[in-house]
Amino acid sequence: MARLDPRNVGLADRGAADDLSETQHRDGPSPIAVPASAALVLAACSLTPRVQANAALQASFWGAMAVALAGAAWVLVQSRRGHAALSTSVLLRPQHWVQALCQLAVLLYWGWYWRPVYDMAVLFVGQLAFAYAVSALISWARGRPWTLGFGPVPIIFSINLFLWFRDDWFYLQFLMIAVGFLGKEFVQWQRNGRSTHVFNPSAFALGLFSLALIATGTTDLTWGREIASTLTLAPHIYTYLFAVGLVVMYAFSITLVAGTAAAVLFGASAVAFAFTGVPYFVDSEIPAAVFLGLHLLVTDPSTSPRTPAGKVVFGALYGVGVFTLYTVLSASGAPTFYDKLLCVPLLNLSVRAIDALVGSVETTLPGLARALGQGVDQVVARRANLAHMAVWIGFFALMSATGRTDRTHVGDRIPFWEEACSEERPGACDRLLQIEASYCGDNSAWACNELGLHYRAGRIVEPDPALSADFLGKACELRFQPACLNLTDTDGSMTGRPKMLDLRLLLREGGLNLLDTPEAELYARACRHGWDFACLGASG
Amino acid sequence: MTPTAPGSRRLVALAAAGLVAATGAALTLAPDVEPARSANLAGHPTWGDDDIPGFRANLFALPEDDLAGFVPIPAGSFIMGSDPSVDRMAFAVERWSRTALQGRLDLDDFYMGRYEVTVAQFVDFVRRSGHRLPDDVVLGTEPLHPVASVSWVDALRYARWLDEELRASARTPAPLRALLDDGWRVGLPDEAQWEKAARGADGALFPWGDDPEGGSANYASGRVEPVGSRECACAYGLSDMAGNVWEWTASPYQPYPHDPSDDGRTAAADALWVMRGGSYQDDIQQVRAANRGGADPGARRPFIGFRVALVHD
Repeated sequence: MARLDPRNVGLADRGAADDLSETQHRDGPSPIAVPASAALVLAACSLTPRVQANAALQASFWGAMAVALAGAAWVLVQSRRGHAALSTSVLLRPQHWVQALCQLAVLLYWGWYWRPVYDMAVLFVGQLAFAYAVSALISWARGRPWTLGFGPVPIIFSINLFLWFRDDWFYLQFLMIAVGFLGKEFVQWQRNGRSTHVFNPSAFALGLFSLALIATGTTDLTWGREIASTLTLAPHIYTYLFAVGLVVMYAFSITLVAGTAAAVLFGASAVAFAFTGVPYFVDSEIPAAVFLGLHLLVTDPSTSPRTPAGKVVFGALYGVGVFTLYTVLSASGAPTFYDKLLCVPLLNLSVRAIDALVGSVETTLPGLARALGQGVDQVVARRANLAHMAVWIGFFALMSATGRTDRTHVGDRIPFWEEACSEERPGACDRLLQIEASYCGDNSAWACNELGLHYRAGRIVEPDPALSADFLGKACELRFQPACLNLTDTDGSMTGRPKMLDLRLLLREGGLNLLDTPEAELYARACRHGWDFACLGASG
Repeated sequence: MTPTAPGSRRLVALAAAGLVAATGAALTLAPDVEPARSANLAGHPTWGDDDIPGFRANLFALPEDDLAGFVPIPAGSFIMGSDPSVDRMAFAVERWSRTALQGRLDLDDFYMGRYEVTVAQFVDFVRRSGHRLPDDVVLGTEPLHPVASVSWVDALRYARWLDEELRASARTPAPLRALLDDGWRVGLPDEAQWEKAARGADGALFPWGDDPEGGSANYASGRVEPVGSRECACAYGLSDMAGNVWEWTASPYQPYPHDPSDDGRTAAADALWVMRGGSYQDDIQQVRAANRGGADPGARRPFIGFRVALVHD
C-alpha cells in the first residue's frame, strides 16, 4: 500500500517556493521496484564502454548494484512479513527539481568547455540510481514510508559539482553518497518544533571526505583540483553562475545568504588587496568554484536559517569561513580548494545558535527586527526578496563593470607576482613559488628553471640544493638551455625568456587551451600580461 | 525560540568539537607537498664482489685499480675536427672554421674513465641516492653492460653523486683520494677532452689508428656488449671509445671552433648536447673519433650512455 507521509510535506522552509506548486500523488511505485530499478540501471551502466574501460570502476558499479539487490531482497522479505512502512508516495517538491535543473544547467555549460564532465554522464546516472536505492532503503529501515521525488538529484549533482573520485577509486564515490544519506538520516536535531537533519547531506559527505583526503594526503585520488580550476574554462562563467543563481534566489529566497557571502568575500578580498598589494585569492576576487558554492551548496533551506537576519549572518559566516580556511589550508600545505567545502558543516551546526541570536534581537529590539524583515507575512517577504535581488543584481553589475568577475585578473600575470615579490609585498614570494611550481608541474621548462634558481639562491625560500637540482634537471630535460647551463655551473643563475610552449601554459588564465593559438596572438596576450619581450615581438 | 533538549545540545556540541578536532588533525597530518626523491628498483638484482670480476662492489662497482678506473691523459695539444681530404667520411660539422679544416687545442691533463659507466654502477647510484627515473626506463640486469636509456641530466647527476661519495668514502683508494683533495673532481668530459682521449694527440681517425679495419669495436652489431669486451690497442688504453653506446659530454652542441667559454652563447637556443663515439646500432662513419652527435638532454635511448672523467677546476 502506498501512502503519503505528512512529515515530508514541510511548509516552513519553502519561502517563495509557495509560488511553485508541489505535485502530490498518493500512489507511489511498488517498494520492490525502487532497489530493483536501481540495480537494473547500475547493471546497464556497468555495460557501457565508459565503465567497462576500467576494471576497478566496473567493480565499483557491481558493488553498488549488489547493495541495491541486497536491498531488494530485504524489501521482499519485509513485505512478506507485512510491514506497513514499506510504502511509497510521490511528491515533487520545487526546491528539489528547480535546484536540480539549475545544477544541471551548470554541469552542461561547464562540460561544454571541459569534456571530462560529459564523460562522467554515465557515472552521474549510476550515482543517481544508487542514491535513490540508498534513500529508500534507509527510510524503510527506519520504519518510515519513502517519498519518491527529485530529492536525491540535487544531492548527487551538488556532490559532483565539487568532487569526483577517479575511476580506480570510484567505489569511494558511492561510499560518499551513502555517508551523505546516512548523515541526513541519523544526525538530526529539533528545530522549530520539527525533527530535521543537521547537515546539508552533500556538504556533510563532502566535508568528511575532504578531511580524510587532506589527512591522508590523497587528494590526487580525486578530480578535486581539476574541478576547482576548470570552471573558468567556460567563458563568462561568473555571469552564467549569477544568472543561474537568480533562479534559485527567486524560487527559494536565498538571496540574503548568497549575496551576503559574495559581498563579504568581494569586500574582504578588496581590503586584503588594499593592505597587501596582492590579490588574496591568487587569480580571482572570488574563485569561480566558491562563487558556485555560495549559490548552490550553502543555500539548502533545510539546513540554513530561515529568517532574513539569520540568512545575513549565515552568509557572512560562510564568506568569513571560506576566507579564513583559504589561508589556513594554504599555510598548512593542503589544497586550498577545500575551503568552500569544509566550512559548510560547521555552519550547519551554527544554525540554531544563529536562530537563537536572531530571536533575542527580535525580543530585545523589535524595531530592528522589523526593519530586518522579521515576522512579516509571506507576501511582504517575497517582495523583500525581490528587493534583495535587485540590490544583488546592482552589486554584481558593479563588480563586473570594475573587472572583478569575468575579466582577466591581475593575479593571472606572472610578471605581476615577480614584481610584487621583488617589492617584498606580503605573501607575494610564496605565491610566486606556488604559481611557478604549478606551471613546472605542467611541464613549463621556464617555470622549472625559475624554481631551481630560487632554491639555489635562497633569497625568497630556504636554499635546497637537492630540490634546486631536481627543478633545474626537469627544466633541462624539457630542453630549456639556461637550466642545462645552470646545471653545469653550480654557481650559475642563468634565466631566459619563456619559450613558445611555456607561453601557451603561462598565459592560460586559469585553464584556457592555448595550444593552437597563433604565435602573434600569443605574443599580444603575453604583452598584456606584462612580458616586455613579448611586446616587442607583438609589434614586430 | 525553539526549546532544545539537553541531550540534543550535547550531541551538537560533540559533533562540532569532532569536526573541529578532525579539521585540526587533518591539517596537522597533511603531508608536505614536495616531489618524492626515491626510485623504485624493487626486484632489481644486487651484485657482490665475486659477481663482477675486476670491479669493486663495495666501492660503487668501480674498477679495481688505484684510480678506480680513471686513466691519466697527459697535458698537451691535439688535433680536433676533420680534414675531408684525409677522412672521406667526415661530416661538415667537424670543420673547425671558415678558414681552417682542423684546429689544434692545448688541453691540461685530465683523467678519463677507462670504461663506459656500467649498469651495476648506475644501479648503485640510483639505490643509494634515490635518484628518480621515469617508470618506463629499464636499466638492464647485466652488470657490465654500459648503462643506457639515461638522459644527459641523469649522467650529470651520477657524476656529481660519485664525486661526493668518493670524497666521503673510507674505501676510496689513496691515490684517487689525493687527486680529489688536490682539487680534481668527477664530471663529464667536455667534447675536446673526449676527442683527445679517443684519437690521441696526432689526430687518428679511430681510437686504434686511421685504418677502419685495423681495430675492433662494437658497431653495426645490433646489440650492446659488456664494457671492455674488445681487445684494442687504443689510445691511452681506453675501452669502447668507438661504438657500444654513444657517450654524453659536458658540451652544448654548437659550431666549431670549440671554446668552452662560449657555452653560454647557446642559452637562447633549444637545448642540444654533444654525444660522442657512436653505438652498436651505427655504421663505421658514426664511430669515428671526430664524429659529433647531438641529442636533446632529456633523451633516454637504449644506445646512449656516458663515461665520467676527473677534471681539475
